[in-house]
Amino acid sequence: MKNSFDPKNPRIHQARERSALNSPAVITLNFVIFALLFIGGLTLLFFKLAIGWTFLGFSTLPLMLIFWIKNALDTIPLGKTDDFTDLLSPDLLLLLKSDTTPADLVKIIPKTRSGAFLMARFMLTIPVLEQIAPFFPTSIEPIYNAARTIREQTNSKTIDGAILITAAIASIPNYEQILNQLKLSLNDLYQGITWFNYLNGHLKDRKKPVHTGGIARDFAFGYTPTLQHFAINLSTRFSGFSQKIQQAENAEIMQKIIDTFTHGGRQNVALIGAYGSGRSSIVNSLAETLMNADSKVPTSLKYRQIYSLDAPSLISAAKNQGELEYLMIKILNEIYSAKNIILCLDNAHLFFEEGPGSVDIANLLVPVLEAGRIRIIMIMDDQKFLEISAKNPALANSLNKIIVNPSNREETLKILMDQAPLLEYQKHVVYTYQSLVEAYRLGEQYIHDVEMPGKAKLLLESAANYSDRGLVTAESVQTAVEKSYGVKVKVADSNEDKNKLLNLEQLIHARMIDQQEAVSAVANALRRAGAGVKNESRPIGTFLFLGPTGVGKTELAKTLSEVYFNGESNIIRLDMNEFASPDDVNRLIRDGATDATSLTAEVMKQPFAVVLLDEIEKAHPAVLTTLLQVLDEGILRDEKNREVSFRDTIIIATSNAGANTIRDQIIAGHSIADFKEPLIESLISSGEFKPEFLNRFDEICLFKPLSKQDLVGVLDLIIASTNKTLEPQKIAVNLTPGAKQILIEKGYDPKMGARPMRRIVQKTVENIVAAAILSGAAQPGSQLTITENEISIT
Amino acid sequence: MAIAEMFLWWYVHGWSVFVQKIKNFMASIIDFFSMSDLVRTLFQPFRQISAATASAESSLDLKFHMFIDRLVSRIVGFFSRLTLLLAGTIIILLGAILSLVLIVLWPVIPLAPLAGIILTITGAFL
Repeated sequence: MKNSFDPKNPRIHQARERSALNSPAVITLNFVIFALLFIGGLTLLFFKLAIGWTFLGFSTLPLMLIFWIKNALDTIPLGKTDDFTDLLSPDLLLLLKSDTTPADLVKIIPKTRSGAFLMARFMLTIPVLEQIAPFFPTSIEPIYNAARTIREQTNSKTIDGAILITAAIASIPNYEQILNQLKLSLNDLYQGITWFNYLNGHLKDRKKPVHTGGIARDFAFGYTPTLQHFAINLSTRFSGFSQKIQQAENAEIMQKIIDTFTHGGRQNVALIGAYGSGRSSIVNSLAETLMNADSKVPTSLKYRQIYSLDAPSLISAAKNQGELEYLMIKILNEIYSAKNIILCLDNAHLFFEEGPGSVDIANLLVPVLEAGRIRIIMIMDDQKFLEISAKNPALANSLNKIIVNPSNREETLKILMDQAPLLEYQKHVVYTYQSLVEAYRLGEQYIHDVEMPGKAKLLLESAANYSDRGLVTAESVQTAVEKSYGVKVKVADSNEDKNKLLNLEQLIHARMIDQQEAVSAVANALRRAGAGVKNESRPIGTFLFLGPTGVGKTELAKTLSEVYFNGESNIIRLDMNEFASPDDVNRLIRDGATDATSLTAEVMKQPFAVVLLDEIEKAHPAVLTTLLQVLDEGILRDEKNREVSFRDTIIIATSNAGANTIRDQIIAGHSIADFKEPLIESLISSGEFKPEFLNRFDEICLFKPLSKQDLVGVLDLIIASTNKTLEPQKIAVNLTPGAKQILIEKGYDPKMGARPMRRIVQKTVENIVAAAILSGAAQPGSQLTITENEISIT
Repeated sequence: MAIAEMFLWWYVHGWSVFVQKIKNFMASIIDFFSMSDLVRTLFQPFRQISAATASAESSLDLKFHMFIDRLVSRIVGFFSRLTLLLAGTIIILLGAILSLVLIVLWPVIPLAPLAGIILTITGAFL
């Protein structure tokens, strides 16, 4: 077993011949020579010239050459030994030399099909490889040895460019560190090799002839004009269109359908599963399989055609229920007479319930289903099936149910790899492997009404709009999620984002005074989220703010929304005193279609927001119990049992509980750290909060009462806010130190915090400014200075 | 060198490759004419015209009417299938004969240039 490149291996000679001869130019030239010799020979013979025979005789040579090139040189079989050269792919046979060094691989790999595939799919660009190359082993043998192992592990036929570059990377002693920098693992590269092998095999399979029954296939089956008008023939649409991986993943379900249709009894199948779980793909694969003459299906099912009934066009074509039933009977009669039709009812619930775009014809269909003379496949949502079962048990009992479960990560990635070429053809883009992985990850996190693999496919489709020069990367998928769902999923990478996160405390303090502990707690939570180190199964942060009124609890939530959550409008505020009865639990989870202001509806509309639960102590215990799951897992199910994600929200609950204790302790000169734990204990022991509720919060922040010194800052902020209001009129207002002192004396109330100050400013400063504007004393561009005298008079 | 390899391949592997291609070609023709289905359904009603069946309670007149309908449909089906079956058989036979000739001629095809030179020299078949 030689582990080096042997330049004398006969396969190299074959590869060179193939490279030189198997080209369209050579084939065309041979055809032209053949045509000239053949026509020339016949012409000469026509004029009785014997040389024509020589022409004709030699005309066979170019034909033989074409046959040889197309059959003998099209594939170069593996060598007979286990030597490295005997295992190489044809393109590598031409590119490798006996003195090839590991560094040379950087130039060789992009010239191979599989190598270029892996580089494009994993964003291993030439500059990236050039950066990695210095870490390759100094000798090529360890790389060749690793390539041999990877070939076996990935069940690859040959050692090709993709395997060689993977082997080169795997031969680096600390390859994991390098791959980590590229956000990859060795297993990912193995997946890439398998992906290439699959697509390459698929291309070869497409060259094989497809047998679909021939011109007399349907002679024994009847005409179905009405059905064809209202249904789509899936068999003709998917005939010869192989979805092998999808078929492999769903082989068990397909076999169950085939078994149901070939054994006696009710000839129907109800595929029950969530939207996106691949129910339609199973039917499409089945349609393709039944039409393939070479597939191993029972004769009684061979060439049976699956028609998907278009419910909306059928319902819209009928003027009333009677006409619809007449049409349906006509279609069913045609199907029965035709003998080769399997009827597929996609969204079958449309035929079993009254509503817009749906009509209840269960009385017509149930006898048909029970009689079992017509083969029917129904595709139904699991929830709809439960609803219909409750309403019509006879229907539910007449169906052969098959549950279609969502695919797991491994299955989803396989399906996405299978379907990526089709999406790429439709969208004119190329999907990287990382984009598929990211589509799965973010699909799981942000799409809740669809199941896998559907949700990942949806994301990949929308990510195509954010491709980078035709390449759909993980960032493209993240952008698609951010644009579609209004959330932040990217790790902060721009300097602006990073600076904002690093200086959050300063940005917040530009709007509120003191409360360092609470400000640091929320800033740290946002920094964790921005750096991508937060727990993805929980909200960004959950905080309980305790303290007296008017000390900035609600203001901090608003400031946070303004600074980080794209504006103050991105705050979902619930006054919990409105949730004081157990019945109010329903108001939290009500369906958005009936109540647009329910908590679940608001978060569905604005998943990236601050959720402010004001005065939480006033909510009923049942309401608090409902909120436990939100605080713990970031998920709340609405009344339709849909999962609503709170994982991109920051949840802030505020309460005045313990306000007196906080005030007394601060006045007594204690720091918050001195009495925080005893205070929380007392809140639990007094029954104001249950321990399981308090334990769900990331942090409980105590807000201390504002001192007179703090009020100076509060006053400055209020005046700044007044100036912002006056900005369109180009008028500015400022206070003399004396005026400020009077306002602080008047506005200071340790029990009420900053609230009285706002009222005082309104009564004094704003009244003075209003009067000045109306009297003409304040003109655009002027600056009003309010003195202590003016304040005293008002 | 390439020409020599081509001749060697022609006699060693080429023959079996050619036979395989002939097999695929014949399979495609058989599939195109749906030969097995034509034989299997030779007497079935054409396009299931008049596929409706009379029930036990139907009148004798209706039952007779249905029987005649089905009989006509079967006769139409039989003749249309037979026509296609015959056409397919002829094409398959022609294809088989041509294939057989080509398989027999396979070893002598490389000798065609030599034969051409001999015919030119002898001036035969003019």
